[in-house]
Order: sequence, then C-alpha cells, then structure tokens
Amino acid sequence: MNHVRYQIQHQTTYFYTGRIDLCHSLAHLEPRGDCDQEVIDHKIKVTPKPDSKSVRKDFLGNTTHYFSVQGSHTSLEITSQLTVEKSTKTPVLPKSELPWETLKIALSDLDPSKTRMVHFLLPTRACPHADFIREFLRPSLIAGKDVVALANDLMTRIFNEFQFLTGATDVSTPIQSVIANRTGVCQDFAHVMIAALRSIGIPSRYVSGYLETIPPPGVPKLKGVDASHAWVEVYSPATGWVGFDPTNNKLPDSQYIKICHGRDYFDVQPVRGIFIGSGKQSLKVSVDVERIKESV
Amino acid sequence: MDVVSEESSLDSKPGSAYQPLAGIRDEAKSPKGAIRTGWTEVFEEIDEFGEAGLQKWRSDVARISRKRGLAYHPVAVEEIKTKGTWSLDPIPWNFPPETWKKIEEGVGQRNRLFEAILKDIYGPQHLISEKLVPAEIIFGHRGFLPDLYDVTPGDAIAGLGISAFDIAVVNSGRLFALNDRFDSPFGLGVALENRTVVNAVLPELFRNCHVRRLGYFFRDWFDHLAASAPGNREAPRIVILDSRPVTQDTEISFLANYCRITRVSDADLTVRNGKVHLKALTGLEPVDLIWKFAAGRDLDPLESNHPIDGGVPGIFSAIREKNVAVVSHPGCEVLQSPGLYPFLPKICERLLSEPLLIPPVATWWCGNPSAKNYVLENLNHMVIKSVGHHSDFQTLYGRNLSFDELSWLTARIEARPQQYIGQEELNLSTVPVATDQGLRPRGAVMRTFSFVGKDGKPNVMPGGLARVSKEDGGIVSTRKAGESKDVWVRSHSPEKPISIARELTQSCLTTPQITPSKMAENLYWTGRYAERTDFITRFAARLLDGRTFGFSHDPEIESRHEALLLYSICEMNQCLSWLDNAPNPDAKIHLLLNEPKCPVSIAFNLKQFRGAAQSVWEKWSRASILAIESIWNSWDKGTGDLFHLNDYPSQLDETQLQLSAFFGLNLDTMTRDDAWALLEAGRRIERTVNIVGILSFLLKQEVEPVLEHLLDESILFISDSLGTYQSKFMNEPLTGPIMQLLLGDAGYPRSVKFQLNRLGEVLAKLPDPKEYDHPSTFLKPIISKLDRIVLKTKHDGEMLPITRTVSAKDLQSLYKEIFHLSDHITQSYFSHAVRITEP
Repeated sequence: MNHVRYQIQHQTTYFYTGRIDLCHSLAHLEPRGDCDQEVIDHKIKVTPKPDSKSVRKDFLGNTTHYFSVQGSHTSLEITSQLTVEKSTKTPVLPKSELPWETLKIALSDLDPSKTRMVHFLLPTRACPHADFIREFLRPSLIAGKDVVALANDLMTRIFNEFQFLTGATDVSTPIQSVIANRTGVCQDFAHVMIAALRSIGIPSRYVSGYLETIPPPGVPKLKGVDASHAWVEVYSPATGWVGFDPTNNKLPDSQYIKICHGRDYFDVQPVRGIFIGSGKQSLKVSVDVERIKESV
Repeated sequence: MDVVSEESSLDSKPGSAYQPLAGIRDEAKSPKGAIRTGWTEVFEEIDEFGEAGLQKWRSDVARISRKRGLAYHPVAVEEIKTKGTWSLDPIPWNFPPETWKKIEEGVGQRNRLFEAILKDIYGPQHLISEKLVPAEIIFGHRGFLPDLYDVTPGDAIAGLGISAFDIAVVNSGRLFALNDRFDSPFGLGVALENRTVVNAVLPELFRNCHVRRLGYFFRDWFDHLAASAPGNREAPRIVILDSRPVTQDTEISFLANYCRITRVSDADLTVRNGKVHLKALTGLEPVDLIWKFAAGRDLDPLESNHPIDGGVPGIFSAIREKNVAVVSHPGCEVLQSPGLYPFLPKICERLLSEPLLIPPVATWWCGNPSAKNYVLENLNHMVIKSVGHHSDFQTLYGRNLSFDELSWLTARIEARPQQYIGQEELNLSTVPVATDQGLRPRGAVMRTFSFVGKDGKPNVMPGGLARVSKEDGGIVSTRKAGESKDVWVRSHSPEKPISIARELTQSCLTTPQITPSKMAENLYWTGRYAERTDFITRFAARLLDGRTFGFSHDPEIESRHEALLLYSICEMNQCLSWLDNAPNPDAKIHLLLNEPKCPVSIAFNLKQFRGAAQSVWEKWSRASILAIESIWNSWDKGTGDLFHLNDYPSQLDETQLQLSAFFGLNLDTMTRDDAWALLEAGRRIERTVNIVGILSFLLKQEVEPVLEHLLDESILFISDSLGTYQSKFMNEPLTGPIMQLLLGDAGYPRSVKFQLNRLGEVLAKLPDPKEYDHPSTFLKPIISKLDRIVLKTKHDGEMLPITRTVSAKDLQSLYKEIFHLSDHITQSYFSHAVRITEP
C-alpha cells in the first residue's frame, strides 16, 4: 500500500505589549494514538522554559499538556513538531444501512474509544439546540435517508451555501450569526454541521488537525501558509466514525492529519493561555505541513 | 417520613390569640387549637409581653440587624429597589428532640446519598451504565465538569462539604425535600447571624428552652476540614474563598469573621509550581485548604469551555496533584439538578441499600414521553423547572400562567422535552410569624445544613434557616427576598455555651492571620478615598461660601478666584476635560458635588470609599460600619433632591462631620496591625499629596496681591487651618508663613511634616517585602527634601517671585516622589509582580 510521510511544525507565539508575570497554558497539540495514521515522532517545545508542566489524558482520551511560566516574560512560543505517516488510499463513502429516523434506537452507550456516546449527542455552547438550526436542516431531512448519506448531503450543502471568509468570524462568534450570514471558517462550518446532526440524534464530533495544501504546479510552496484545520466525524453502528470536511466538501484523505477530537472547538483548542500581568497580547500562529517521503 | 408531633395537653390557654388557617397544617398548633410540643414556652412568652412585646421584638431585631450592617442590610442603595433583602422574624421555629431526630436521620441520609452520587459521577459512573439515571441529565447539566473525571472524592479530594437541603412539611405531616444545594449554598452565614440576633433579643427564652448550640457543629466541621487537607500536613492552612460580588458578600464575611478564617477573593490566590498561594502583605503564602463559596464551574478558567472573568487559573491541576483540597468539590453543582428527583429512590436503593427517608417532591422528567404527557396534561397546576442544561429558563408556576403563556410553554417543552421537569406544587405547612397584625400563620421551608464526616457519618447542624412567605399561607419564594426565622432545636438538658472562634484555634487548622493583598489594597484605598473626600468637601464648601457671602467687592476677582480653585482641584484629580466640558460656572462647581462619574466629585469618591471599605467589612468595628453606611446614606438621601448649589452647604458640613467620626472611631477601635498601618498610610499619603499639590499650584500663580491674598486664605480654609494660622501668626494670610505652617510645622496635625512622620511610624509596622526594598527607605529622602524646602522659605514672608518659582519646582518634585512611594507600596505589597529580569 502507498504511504506518505509528513513533517509538521505548528508554532504559536504570544507577544505582549507589557510584561507578563505568570502564565498558565493548556495545549491540545499531541495527536491521538487511535487515528488512521502512524505517529513517528512528536515533541512540544516551550520558550521560555516552563517552571512546571504535566501531561494527562482528558475525558475524551486526548493528550493535554499543561505548563506554566512564572518568571516575567514578554513573549511565549509553543512549537509542536510532528512526524506522521498516512496511507494514501482514497476514502469511499460507507453505508450505515440505517435510516436517520431510527438511528437513535440502535446506538450503544459507548463509542469504540469507550467515550460515552451521549457526549456527542448533547448540545454545547458552540453547538446549541435551537430552532434556527432545525430550520436550516429541514431541507436535508428526506424520509428514510441513510445516516451517512444524509451527513454527506449536509456537508455538500454547507460547502455550497456558505462562503469561506477569513476574519468574518472569530472563536466567539455565535453559530446563529454564522448561519444567518452564511460565512465563516472551517471551525464554524464544523460547528454548524455538528449542531444540525445532533439535533436529530446523530452522534457527531469536532476534529482538530492539519491539512496539507498543494500549491499550483510550478509554484514553490511558501513557509507557514498552512493552517490548522477542523472537520467533522459522524457515527453510525455499521460504519463507526466517518469523517466529513464541510469546508472542502471532501471525505478526509491522506492529506488530513488528525490531532484531537471533542464535543466542539473548546474541548480541543490547540493552545489556551491565561496570562497575568500588564499590557495587551497578540498572537501569531504558523503551520507548515511538509511532505517528506512517499513510499510504495 | 412523618413528623407528627404528639400534642401536649389540651390546655389551649397560652397563645390563644394565634389562629392557624383552616385546612392547612400548622407547626405550632393542632387543628383543635392545642399547642404542639416545643412551642409552649414561646407562646407563654408572647402572652406575657402581649402585642406590644411582639412589636418590640420585631423592632429590636430590625435595629440589631441594621446596626450590624450585615446580611439583611441592603448593601447598595440602588440594589434595594431591584433586589430586596432578607428580614428576620423574632419568633423561632421550634423542634422538640424527638421530631428533630427524625429530621436529622432523613437529612443525614440525604447527605450520604448525594456524597455517594458525587463519588459515582466523578468516578465509575455505575448510575449511568446501569441506567438508573438518564445520561443526559448528568452530562447535559452545566455544572457537570467532565474533565474532573479523575478528581474522584476520596483520600485527599474533598466531597460535598457543607450541603443545604430545603425541607418542608405538608398537610399530612410528611416531610418533603424541595431543593438540594451543594455549590456554595446560600444561608449558612445568615443562619448563624439570625441566631446571634434572636439570642440578643430573647436571651431568657433562649436559655429556658435549652436550645442546642450551633458551635458544636462547627467544631466538628473544623475537625473534618483539618482531616480533608492533602498529605499529612500538620496545621494545614485554610482560607475562605468568596468570589461573589460585593453586594452578596455580607453573609460570607460574617461567617468568615465569626470563624476567624481569612476571607479571600479569587484574585488573592495564585498557582505557582502547582501549588496554591495566597498573595499577602508578607509575600506568597502557601494554602492547603480552601473552603469555597464560589461557583465550581467558574473556578478554573484554564479548564473551562466557557469564558470566565476571574477564577484561579491552574487550580484544577493543583487539586489533581493533591496539593490543595477544595471544599466543596468543584463539580458538585450537577447534583442540584431537579432532573435527579424522579430517580432518587432507586439511586438510594442502589448506592446505600436503604429506602429513601425523605422523599423528593413528586417530579416528572419530560425526557420520558409518558412523564411529559402527564406534565403537559396537568400544566396549569405544576411547577416547571429547567434541569440545568445550558438555558436561562426561570422556574414557572402553571397556575400563574395565562392561556397563551401555557401554550408557549407547551411548545417549548415539546421542542426539547429532556430539558424540563414538572413538579407537584406542595401545600406547605405554616408557622407563626410576628407581623403588624400580630402573630400570623405563614408557609415555611427550612434549610438544613450538614456534612458527611471522613468516617461516612453525617453531621446535621441542629438549627437552620427557615424561610417564610410574605403573606398568610401561600408559597415561599426561595430566590427573591423574604422573611427568615431562626430554627430552635431543643435538648432535654442545657448545653454548655461554645465559642466557634475558640474551637477553630483549638482545632489543628492554621488560619494565617495575614492580610491578603487585595484586602491590604482596599484598606489603603479606604484611607485615601476618605481623606480625598474630606479634602474635596472643604474645597466645595469654600467655593459655595464664595457664592453665598462673596469674598471680594470686585466680581472679576471673585470669578477668577473661583476658576483658579476649580482648575487646581480638577488638575490634581485629572479632570480638566470635565471642567472644559461643563457649560457654565454652576455646572463646574457641580462637578465637585453630585456628578457620580466625575473623579473629582464627592459622590464618586464616596462611592469608591464605600466600595473599598465594604470589601474589607470584617476589619471594621460595628460602630465603624455604622459610620461608613451613614456617610453614604446621608449623602445619597441628603442630595437626592438638591438642584441648587446653595442647598449643599449643610450637607457638606454633615459629610465632614461623619468622615471625622469614621477616622475617630478607627483611632479608638482598630488594633494597630497591618490593616491599621495601611489605612493610615493611605490617609497620610493622600493628605500629603493634597497639601503639596495645592501649595505648588498656589506658588505657580502670578497674580495681583488682592487675588493672591484671597487664594492664601482659601488654602488655609481648605486645609482647615485658618483658625490655627490666625492664632499663631496674628496676621493676615501670607504665603511664607503658610508654607511654614502647612509644610514644616512638625507639631501641627495638618502639616506635611506631621503626615510624613506619621507615615514613617506606620510604614515601620509593615513587613519587609520579599522582592523589594522596604517602602520606609523611600521616605527618608522625601523628608529631607521637605526640610530643605522649608528652610529655603523660612525668612521670606511675602515670598519673592524667584523664591516662589523655585519652591513651586521643589514642591512639584516632592509631589512626584510621593507618587513613586505610593506606586512602590502597590507593587511590593499588592501586586507581587516578579522583578523584571532583562535578558
């Protein structure tokens, strides 16, 4: 089977106008072990050197890194370096063999990773239950439609109806305005899809990761042009978790490198920091996904 | 569970004036009019003193409560209008020992049950796997914190701590549970406070009734806390964490004060090296135990998936590492869900292998289709509550809803049934309450408090907080304000009095007698704002005197004098833009009075003063609290309807008088400790800044002699030194002698020299900051600079222009140095910033 190996560097830098005396940070940067990919190597480097740190699994089985920097500092840099290998087989849309109306009855209590299924069915702050979501979903509710096919149609609808617009939204933009304005970025589209599917009892989860971008032929790839990405996974008993990328209307293939999954973005925010000190902070994120080897 | 108190002999003589309502159970009297056990003494007392006695007790309670300035006391005047307050009824709710035993058993079991549920939810989750409770009721609740799955109560991880259970009695005499509160429940402080107030109003009755003491419960609680500390720490350090807004903190500050445990806010705590520390005057002090009165889900912003202002970042990590114990468990709010009620009897059987003693109110979870249908069919006599999902739904009473509202509610429940429960509305029993119309029967609910010890045995406080409705019979609103009552549990023989504070010192807990930085900062600013208000008040009085009596025959001089004074005070308080924008001279003067947003107004500064003073409530004597409140109340009431400037002078006099009463009381009542030192330091620094500021402004002015003399006189007036000057110099005001008096006269309490000497004395009481030089080292150069300025101006009565300019410059630089000193105090004692280490 064909394989492809990637080297990924994900760098998050906080700059402060004033001085920070203490920072606590939580990172969701280490890839899960149970994805369809082989992690060759992963390390996280923090500058300045943290005074205390710990690693644990969160309730969804993601690895989290906690660290704190106590001395005063004017910038903070977190670099995650990952080498991962993926199979290049093309994904095919599976069948759940279940109409969406009856899925709920067939669900088990736990998913294959032993997480309680109910976590992926309940509304969250980013993916609430609301009338405007049901309203949005209504055209996709064709009686008797296969669960996975319905998810696939919904993905295509989001791709067609929403405009990808960087800067139109941020992490605090409520889903209501994303749906009303039909604009957003990958996180927003994932949240819309998740909220819609959960409202009819289809388990779905938010996936954080990276997507390899390929420049047009003849153009050399620039540094730092990649970005962290977000997509969706949907569950049915016959298929297990199936990935959908509403931003690109695509089933995630070998160019998608998964890091963590959660109920929504806030469960798997790559880096969250609480800073105590003076001044304002600004943030710079750069991601490089580099293809280093292809093997047959 | 039944609480049918046997009736005492049918001698219905005592309390014959009290008539329970027909058809509603009363706790004090049987339907036949017989007094129930435990109430005879109370009725005898009422009969002895009659209607007049009853009214006297009521007014005594109100007076004592108000005087204490505590829980019932409205904290902010504007809050009264919107929120209302709790008042206290002098008549206690009585329980004979036998009846209480049943309540104790039932409440104790309930507490054990919820401890077991907590341990299961943040642990193996058998209840969910075995489908004893629907998963979404737990996981959908906003208070369930999934990431605390590895913070299972046990060893060094605390469980529920003191829990509150609302208990009511219905017509049949059965007990019901109405609410369960775990996440910093309201009322423990109020219950303690009610006890002290009622005890003060009815001391003999209290003694004769053999009322059980609350102190023993607290003694056991402190032992429990000590045993809950992580590791085998000897003398673990404990603090009370209170992150509620100031308007609610009176109950907790009362509790903290009563127990002598330092109360801190979340900004006082910081996590370093995985351990919790208290930012204190003495530096960072480690903390082992936190008795929490703050919402668990807002505790650690690092691990929250909703935005949080405040909190203690990193604290969950510290809990997991067992470096600190937080009581109660931060994830306990989920247990408050009424969605658990339908499932409680079975959960109790499963976890405790016992039948549930106190049943919950009949409750239907709408996530179950047949239960939903039942609720919808009976909607007009049901109580509808949210199960605590992410929703702002307020409890609704079906009988209060119109047809349209009922259909709106039906649609809402149909759309998301799993988010709602329906509850039967109980007909609560009544207790006698003292009212304007004598003793009246009112519906009552009792909040009980308990905790489960390390040995698994529950400990129920013999007493509680009873809440009664505002009208005869009727329901008790638990959210809004109402009336409360003390709960008297009787014993057969008298108990020895016990002091809670003494018990704490005898327990092995350490209550660091240190001043948290935030408190220190508030004390410092209390001193500064009080002094600043005093200064501005004199300023305003001077300006208004000019308007009323006039200082000069020349209106031009008059108005320039006014404008200069206004300019100086606004410049000193960075309010020049306010001055520019005020449309006319009256409006400019008004800036100093009742312009609540303008930093130079008395209204603004009084508000700041009161805010700072309030957040260190426990540091004041009762008399000082009264003084703080009356300063504010008299200003707020006295100026509420004033429009004309000439209405103000008498109010200004009163405010000045009250401020000096506040300073005088502190002088009389405060221990000369850190707190005192900071309050004094704030006051002395502010006074120095004001005198130096106004003098340097005066020296900068190049004006004709007539205006200069007028300004000189004004400065003496503003610094309250006119009389002293006149008796000392027997002369008209001259700048030179004024400088000598106000700057250099070490024996004169209004002089800068005096302030700086006092400042030196109080700063010496402050500990050495760990990272910085002691602030008193900054003071010496300031004092010698002052001495030089005084020397330079000694023999120059009129002061030549050249001396004036030089002195103005000198004073300016003195002014700056005092500001540096203030900054230094802030950095080294309040913010604990680590020194910058440049690479």
